[in-house]
Amino acid sequence: MTTTRLTRYDRSMLRLMNDRRAATWYATAARRRLAVAAHVTLTVAIGGLMTHFFLAEGEPLWSMAVTAVLLLPWMVATGVINGATRGLLELRERALDERQSAERSRVLARSHRVTTLLLAAAAVSLLITGGTAGDAPKAYAAPLLIAVLVVHWVMPLWVAGLRAQDEPADDDDVLEPGVLGR
Amino acid sequence: MSEQVHNRLAVVRAERKVSRQALAEAVGAHYQTIGYIERGQYNPSLDLALKISEFFGLPVEALFSLEPFRPLTDEVYGRNQP
Repeated sequence: MTTTRLTRYDRSMLRLMNDRRAATWYATAARRRLAVAAHVTLTVAIGGLMTHFFLAEGEPLWSMAVTAVLLLPWMVATGVINGATRGLLELRERALDERQSAERSRVLARSHRVTTLLLAAAAVSLLITGGTAGDAPKAYAAPLLIAVLVVHWVMPLWVAGLRAQDEPADDDDVLEPGVLGR
Repeated sequence: MSEQVHNRLAVVRAERKVSRQALAEAVGAHYQTIGYIERGQYNPSLDLALKISEFFGLPVEALFSLEPFRPLTDEVYGRNQP
């Protein structure tokens, strides 16, 4: 952590992000991958439903109701990933130590590379569909842009969740008298 | 560039009965960072290495080295490497 003084907000966020009550949810790599997979699935589902809400002509209310229901598990999955990363992306820089700052930079750099590729793929597919159907870019540009924007926003969370490491073993054993032959 | 820096932090910390949390708070790091240093998964900066050494009142080379450490008992009792 830097020598800058932490504000009350920083300290409360630090406590929140380091709360270990839900640690079993992200204790293993498999569980963290599952949380990220659930988050990806829910993000896609919510994005799809919102697109349907804005584009469908008929009865869009059900899609908003389902979106509202899905938002709850989405928030839980977000919390699990934030817990696994100890708030790597949520805490202010001054509340992170040197390892966490370096890890945040790596996560953001990797996310940037992935979303750059995604943007390129989106642009190419829009241009290709524009070549075959003239009005396709106009029709799909807005939803595609929003989809890429959402992915750009949550990609660091997914990358951070996948890169999170197992908690170092509890050090109670190390401190047991006799371990060092004393 | 990921040169492995060896350390005997876990041994010294256990010998002094200092928890990871206490050490982390003293040197301004996260307790996980101390754990990752002990596991060899993170090489501390010179700044952090010096702070840890200062906390234990030891020279930095007593805790961190580019070469693997000999067991403490060998160093204390002068036994040669097999």
